[in-house]
Amino acid sequence: MGGGGFTMEPVGGALDELVLGLARTPVPKICFLPTASGDPGEQIARFYAAFGDRPCDAVHLSLFRLGVNPVDLRSHLLAQDIVYVGGGSMRNMLAIWRAHELDVILRECWEQGTVLAGLSAGAMCWFEGGITKSSGRPAPVEGLGLLEGSLSVHLDGEPERRPAYLDAVASGALPDGWAADDGVALLFEDRKLVRVVGSKRGLHCVRVERDGDRARVTEVPVEALPGHPQAIRSIDADVRELRSLRYRASAGGR
Amino acid sequence: MVGPAQIVAFGGGGFSMEAGNPLLDDYVLSLTHAERPKVCFLPTASGDADHYIVRFYRAFSPARCEPSHVSLFRRDKGAGLGRAVDEHLLDQDVIYVGGGSVLSLLGVWRAHGLDEVLAECWRRGVVLCGLSAGSLCWFQDAVSAFHGEPTSVRGLGLLPLSNCVHYDREPARREAYRAAVGSGEVRAGYAADDGVALHFIGTDLARVVASRRDRAAYRVESVEGEAMEVAIEPDWLGAGSPLTVA
Repeated sequence: MGGGGFTMEPVGGALDELVLGLARTPVPKICFLPTASGDPGEQIARFYAAFGDRPCDAVHLSLFRLGVNPVDLRSHLLAQDIVYVGGGSMRNMLAIWRAHELDVILRECWEQGTVLAGLSAGAMCWFEGGITKSSGRPAPVEGLGLLEGSLSVHLDGEPERRPAYLDAVASGALPDGWAADDGVALLFEDRKLVRVVGSKRGLHCVRVERDGDRARVTEVPVEALPGHPQAIRSIDADVRELRSLRYRASAGGR
Repeated sequence: MVGPAQIVAFGGGGFSMEAGNPLLDDYVLSLTHAERPKVCFLPTASGDADHYIVRFYRAFSPARCEPSHVSLFRRDKGAGLGRAVDEHLLDQDVIYVGGGSVLSLLGVWRAHGLDEVLAECWRRGVVLCGLSAGSLCWFQDAVSAFHGEPTSVRGLGLLPLSNCVHYDREPARREAYRAAVGSGEVRAGYAADDGVALHFIGTDLARVVASRRDRAAYRVESVEGEAMEVAIEPDWLGAGSPLTVA
C-alpha cells in the first residue's frame, strides 16, 4: 500500500478487507509488526480496534518490549496466515529485522504462502528498494528484495518523494518500479503484479522506468474497490468477547 | 568537555526503574563536574517510547541540568535539535541510554552510524551511562534474554568484557551468562543486580555503587570450564555523603 489501511484511514476500510480476503482460510491468523514506528502503543491499539472484531485471529509482535511470554519469532511468524507491517522508518525497521533475523524468517513466510502486507515502509520493504525519509531528506534505501523492482509511497501525500524517486530510477540507484498514492495497493502473486486497487475513486499509481538518463513515467490504471461496512462477515458474540479478554490480558502484561 | 573515558553501567535502576530514588542518576551527574551538565537521553531500545521520554524530562529537570533527547524514529529527531545528531551528541556531558531490546538498539544505532559517534563521545570524555540494554551495549559480549532463550550478543565493544544485568531478578539470564562464561563462549566480565552500577574509567572498573542496600555486583570468569563468581560489595550511595564507604 502506498499508504492507507487502518493506520491512516478509518477502521473498516476496503484495503484491510482485501488483505483479510487474500488468506486461504476463513478465519486467518494475522500478525501486526509495528517495528518501523518503534512499536507504539497507540498503533497497536488501533490494530486491535481494526481487526479485533473481524473474523480473524489478531496478534501483534513487538521487537522492543519483552512480553511476559516471550515467543520464538520463527515459529510464531511461520504460523501466521497474514503478516501486516506498519509504516515508519524503513531504515530502522530493516536494521532491527536483520538484528532479529526477521529478514530470513519473513522470506520463509513468503515462500510458504503467508500473505505479506503493509503500508509505506511496510510496503517498500518487500521490494529491492524504496525511498525513505528516515534521515530527513528522501533518499534511496535497499529493501528485502522479495519482489523485483522498487516502490515509492505517498505519491500524493508527500510530493517531495516523487523527484527523489525519479532521480534514483534515472540514475540507476534504484531499479524500475512503481509509485503509489495513499489508499492504493499493489497486489503481487509470487513476483507478478496482478492487481492495482484503490480504497476510493480518483487515486493514482505510476510505473517508473529508466530511459537513458531519464525516468519515464506512465500511468497505471487503479481499480476502485467498493466500500465495505466494518465487520462485513458476522462473528459470534462469545468469540468477540474471548478476543477482547485476550487482548486486555496481553495489553496488561506489556 | 575533556576528561577520562567513563562508562556507568546499571544492572537496573535510575529514573526508569526506581521512581523516587535518584541516587544512581545523581551519581552520574556528579561525575561531570559541570554546574548544569548537558544530558542527552537515547530511548532507542524502547522504540523511542513517548512515555519514557516524558519520564526522562521529569527526572532530569532543567533546574539541575540541560536535558535533551534524540529520537531515531521521529523525523524531527528530538526536542529542539537544531543540528546534526552526531554534533549534538559530541557536545554532551552525559549520554543516558534507556532500557529495552539491546538487539533492536544496536541494529538501529549501526544503521545510523551512531556506533562510531558514541565511541568518539566516549574517547572525548562524555560520560556514557544506561541501564539494562543501555548497560549491555557498551561491552564486547552481552547476554540478552529478549524473545526466548537468553543468548549472547556482540555489543559496541568499548569495554573488552562481558556484561549481564538484572542479575538478582532473572535467574534464567544468570544461568545463561554463567554457562556462556564458563564454556568460554563469552569472555570474562561483570554482572550487576538491579540498583547496582559499574563505573569504568577507561576500560578498568573503578568503583561499584548502589542505590539500594543488600545488592551486589559480580566478577564472573571461567576457571577450568566452570564459571566462577566473586561478589563485589558496592558503595551504597544513600544516607548523606555518597563517598562514605561502609
